[in-house]
Amino acid sequence: MTKRYCMFISALFCAFLLFFMAANAAAPDRLYSELENRELAQLPALSAKSLISGEFMAKFETYVTDQFVGRDGWVAMKSAAELLLGKRENNGVYFCSGGTLITRFETPDEKRVADNLNYVNKFVENMDIPVYFSLIPTQACIWADRLPAGAPNASQSALLDQARQSTSARWYDTYPQLWEHRDEAVFYRTDHHWTSLGAYYGYAALAGAMGLEPVPLSQYVKTTVSENFYGTVFSSSGVRWVLPDCIDVYVPEQGTRVISHTYDQNGNPVEESRQLYDESYLARKDKYAMFLGGQQSLGVVYGPNAQGPKLLLVRDSYSDSLVPFLTAHFSEIHLIDLRYYKLSAAEYIQEHGIDAAVVLYSVPNFVTDSNLVWLGR
Amino acid sequence: MVFSSLYFLFLYLPIVLFAYYIAPLRWRNGVLLVLNLIFYAWGEPVYILIMFASIAIDYTHGMLVERYKSRNNDKGARLAVASSVVFNLALLFFFKYWDFVAGSLAAAGLGFMPKLGLRLPIGISFYTFQTMSYTIDVYRGNARVQKSIVNFGTFVTLFPQLIAGPIIKYKDLGDQIDSRTHTVEQFASGVQIFVVGLAKKVLLANNIGMLWDAWKAVPAGELTTAGAWLGAAAFSFQIYFDFSGYSDMAVGLGRMLGFEFMRNFDYPYISRSITEFWRRWHISLGTWFREYMYIPMGGNRVSRPRLFFNLLAVWAATGIWHGASWNFLLWGLYFAVLLILEKAFLLRWLERAPSVVRRVYTLLLVVVSWAIFAVEDLGRLGIYLKAMFGGAEGGLTGGAVEYYFFSYLPILAIAAVASTPLAAALWKRLPERPMKVLLPFLLLAGLICSTAYLVDATYNPFLYFRF
Repeated sequence: MTKRYCMFISALFCAFLLFFMAANAAAPDRLYSELENRELAQLPALSAKSLISGEFMAKFETYVTDQFVGRDGWVAMKSAAELLLGKRENNGVYFCSGGTLITRFETPDEKRVADNLNYVNKFVENMDIPVYFSLIPTQACIWADRLPAGAPNASQSALLDQARQSTSARWYDTYPQLWEHRDEAVFYRTDHHWTSLGAYYGYAALAGAMGLEPVPLSQYVKTTVSENFYGTVFSSSGVRWVLPDCIDVYVPEQGTRVISHTYDQNGNPVEESRQLYDESYLARKDKYAMFLGGQQSLGVVYGPNAQGPKLLLVRDSYSDSLVPFLTAHFSEIHLIDLRYYKLSAAEYIQEHGIDAAVVLYSVPNFVTDSNLVWLGR
Repeated sequence: MVFSSLYFLFLYLPIVLFAYYIAPLRWRNGVLLVLNLIFYAWGEPVYILIMFASIAIDYTHGMLVERYKSRNNDKGARLAVASSVVFNLALLFFFKYWDFVAGSLAAAGLGFMPKLGLRLPIGISFYTFQTMSYTIDVYRGNARVQKSIVNFGTFVTLFPQLIAGPIIKYKDLGDQIDSRTHTVEQFASGVQIFVVGLAKKVLLANNIGMLWDAWKAVPAGELTTAGAWLGAAAFSFQIYFDFSGYSDMAVGLGRMLGFEFMRNFDYPYISRSITEFWRRWHISLGTWFREYMYIPMGGNRVSRPRLFFNLLAVWAATGIWHGASWNFLLWGLYFAVLLILEKAFLLRWLERAPSVVRRVYTLLLVVVSWAIFAVEDLGRLGIYLKAMFGGAEGGLTGGAVEYYFFSYLPILAIAAVASTPLAAALWKRLPERPMKVLLPFLLLAGLICSTAYLVDATYNPFLYFRF
């Protein structure tokens, strides 16, 4: 190797480092990553305290990684490299047949499961109205045949059995309906939620349990509101080579009204008007939030059937696409998200003259949720 | 700070190279000392005080040894050496082994030592060994005393080898600290070694590490024999590419700054005996124990029983150096027994066996040793080893073994080839022209792929902070 060649190699290396150093310095920091659906770390404040505790360094490291120039491109390159190397998963997401991305279902923490089932039982004990309870099996269970052969994946049906046996609520199964229709698009391929179609089967199961006659699917007109939906699993997988999902809705919005109860900055309760379908979200990454406008602590949906009973739903985000179907039967559907709602659900039920309650979670959310403790109070 | 991180590569390193090379020659050690201290303080803002104390005390001890020696006061010089060794070992004991000893005594019903719950200062196992070597080398006359505290501080804190070795003895580095030349040829070769090391760590070690992580958590009831071997093999690759990748990066960075460090790994997995394995694995640690413990104890030139005792003692120390836990001691003693057997008769037998038998023999024993190393809980270790040798509750194979084996097959194959000198030999046989054309592309590919994996760094653990 000649001296000139060595200079070239050395310069190449230094230029590579300097190029990205300069690009990182020049590129403006992003507040939020749409693709990853989360806020990105910002330059941490420097103080003697944060330096001594090492907090500054830890935050700075996250900041550099989060704000690295061309982050999304690098992440996509890494997942493509993984595929090229013969991997069938990236960041805990399996590359499945039919362009489907499925998050691995990890073996649940037994104590958390037992505790959460107990909290539901406590809730039932405090109540003199009927409490229905079901867990929604997800892609990792219903679409298990799409997973790579032999891919490790904990059993959701074992968990459903456990819940059925140990609960004192009126258990109903969502599983058979979804399983029977597993060849239809009951889940999104790139998002962890069920589709409106999947939610319809969930609705049919619930209606059956409550003694209601579900509206036949054929009576609805399916409307596709988006053909370009890339969901949360798409984000976490880093995979960029699958086709987007469609979002369909079935139930017309007419005659429904949605009020979200929240607090302003001074802690005063305020009411915010929402819609069954907020199409403004369709222009954003988080398109699933079009159902009821995404997360909320407490929401009330008023249906066209003003004579119907009142329902309380203790739920996760899967219920956002279920609620449209329920509006046919209930005058009011009260939605409580225990991640944000910390008041007594029992008192709420008394105050508002609720006729029946449903506790409905997806299996992965139920076995990891740490907020069900609020139900028992 | 770790080398395999974005802020090191794209912030700290360019600043270091810039500041170092614009500084006039005589200021370079001073500049380097400041940069080293920033490097260390980044990870240890408080424990850096221990580093300062260590520098001051070992510097003073070196001066004391020199003074006594110049007055022909051997007893004084020996006392100073002993004092330095005691200080360094006490430091190491206090931070690394106190809780382990306290816990073990308490378990035996002797709970007089309270548990302190102190965090282990990064790299303390490495720098205490280096500073110990300094006073000993000065006493033995193998190195001249370092009169400049700046130069001595630069030696102790030299960032390329500060937190994960190689463990550089003062006698090998002292002259380079005092004066060294900087050539572009050396810089360019440093770049190549550094990028190879980076790729080994980020692309191979982290990737195969995920296979081991998937395996180590498998409940006893689901553990299969094939799975246990797959897991142990994955860890064997992970620890080799992690550690040797890190050493390569250290050697590369050293060269960029004009230093020449010793080679720490020499394709250990092609060894044909355990004796040979330890001449090729973590060479700087092996030679340290050899020069400062094994030979002073009499080395080979003693009676058989004494030789075996020496080997047991040295390997018990080597084992426990790797971490304050019983499994590391067990791991060291496992090698002691193997080395004793080899010295007693096995080596003579092996010499007559075909190479392939010798390699398989060595590899199998080494993979088993990594299982002992990797599984810290002794109860779990028992289950794991039993599973490896046919007593698995999950049977011979099944469950996710096949999935993991086939998903990791390409990486395992790459790792297996990369563990041999094959690629390096092919590279050297390449004519100069294609080599010159290929090199920049390979370097860029290594840098770009590593950057992509680091940006997606949901997974970038560093194994050596425990040492």
